[in-house]
Amino acid sequence: MANKIDGGSENSELSELFDRSMPAEPTAIGAVVDAISEILAKLEVPEQKRFEIALAVQEALANAVVHGCDNDPSKHIRCRLKSASDGRIVIIVTDPGPGFNAERLSNPKQGENLYADHGRGVYLIRQLMDEVRFERPGNEISMWKY
Amino acid sequence: MDINVRKRSQVQVVQLRGPLRMGPAVDSLRQTLEEALGNGDTRIVMNLSEVPMIDSSGIGLLVRFLAVIKQRGGNIKLAQPSKFAVQTLRLVGVLNLFEIFDNDDSAVESFA
Repeated sequence: MANKIDGGSENSELSELFDRSMPAEPTAIGAVVDAISEILAKLEVPEQKRFEIALAVQEALANAVVHGCDNDPSKHIRCRLKSASDGRIVIIVTDPGPGFNAERLSNPKQGENLYADHGRGVYLIRQLMDEVRFERPGNEISMWKY
Repeated sequence: MDINVRKRSQVQVVQLRGPLRMGPAVDSLRQTLEEALGNGDTRIVMNLSEVPMIDSSGIGLLVRFLAVIKQRGGNIKLAQPSKFAVQTLRLVGVLNLFEIFDNDDSAVESFA
């Protein structure tokens, strides 16, 4: 299966490797992250890159559970993994929430934020992935690894 | 996640096995640390040698308890953190908040 998407990788031919809907509860996240890691291992993606992708997916799904679905397990989150013909990989996480403005997040490395118990997820994703886009009103994140 | 706690020389040594991420793993570790605090144990060594992943929930838990325990005169010290644990803590700028040791023994002895 292949399709074209617009955006950061204009007109790239993408093959869909994974498409799963999960209930919005923390216990459901691990299985999705592990399934994606297994696919990447079969594709012989290097360990370092697999780790970075897995942690980014973990953070995106956790954000979707908490902020996109208010921890309501009756709501569902969609997670897709696609690869481009040139080897690039994209993970797209979509939740049913109203979205948010990612540009308004504070820097978790500044001041008292260092000791905060939250506020690092999107920062981590941006550090781990090569390109991150928030689509729709902010309830869909596309994370690219080159 | 498996959590094994043992006491050595008035220090709680917490051995973690598995990903430290949102859900049961973070909840279990929070409970473990709350119990330690409840018992007045504020000297803690956290062995992260078998923790292949720490997500932002796990980081948040560690730094919050580090702050609380330090206020009570104690500390949380890390022993043998895995390569990926170190990378993640460094990425979000909190690695330097922790004292890090090559093994449990040296971490425990540092409390003396």
